[in-house]
Amino acid sequence: MLVLTRKIGESIKINEDVKITVIDVKGKNIRLGIEAPRETKIYREEVFLKIREQNQTAATSHFFDPSKVSKLIKDKIKK
Amino acid sequence: MKLETTRFGTIDIEEKQVIEFSDGLYGFEKESLFTFLPFNPNVESPMEWMQSILSPHLAFVITDPYLYVPEYKLKLSEEDKNKVGLELNEPFLTRSIVTIPENYTEMTANLVAPIVINSNKRVAKQFVLTSMEYDTRHYLLPEEMRTEAAAR
Repeated sequence: MLVLTRKIGESIKINEDVKITVIDVKGKNIRLGIEAPRETKIYREEVFLKIREQNQTAATSHFFDPSKVSKLIKDKIKK
Repeated sequence: MKLETTRFGTIDIEEKQVIEFSDGLYGFEKESLFTFLPFNPNVESPMEWMQSILSPHLAFVITDPYLYVPEYKLKLSEEDKNKVGLELNEPFLTRSIVTIPENYTEMTANLVAPIVINSNKRVAKQFVLTSMEYDTRHYLLPEEMRTEAAAR
């Protein structure tokens, strides 16, 4: 991993078109500003962990009676 | 083709009912083939099963997120569309994975990671939205319908 030290207000650039600036540091929190082309996808890394966990929970939570579930959902959609 | 499943026993499906997820799903990266099955036979339902072809025990409940959140925003970039072989203005299907806990009135859909399906080419992918607007556990029922009593 490349490790760089930056001060508040300083930036790093990735390729020609992505710029990440250190906006502020407060205790353990660092605020970053990111400038990138519209189509660049920027995520907080935890989101992937959350999705993985949610998929796993969904795959194992099968205690229900499908007809009861369908009925309830149909009642809701009708409203 | 014959398909072994834990939940439905041995079923007969056609080759063209198989949908390829070349990246698998998050947490199930090797699960590259699924088929969609009726949620309960003979009854129309907004839900469907997404059954793994490779793992007989693995099945997900899925639903159309627009039934619950009509204003749901899913914007695919050109690159995203390429990943599922979609032409620029080709329509696609969107489904969300549903989690149904023991109290099934508290079922939720994952609106952060929708499944996009190209029905013509029969390929699909789970995308992750960059927007912070949605939750991985979006309740499908409004609060007044989420009761302990209803689950009994």
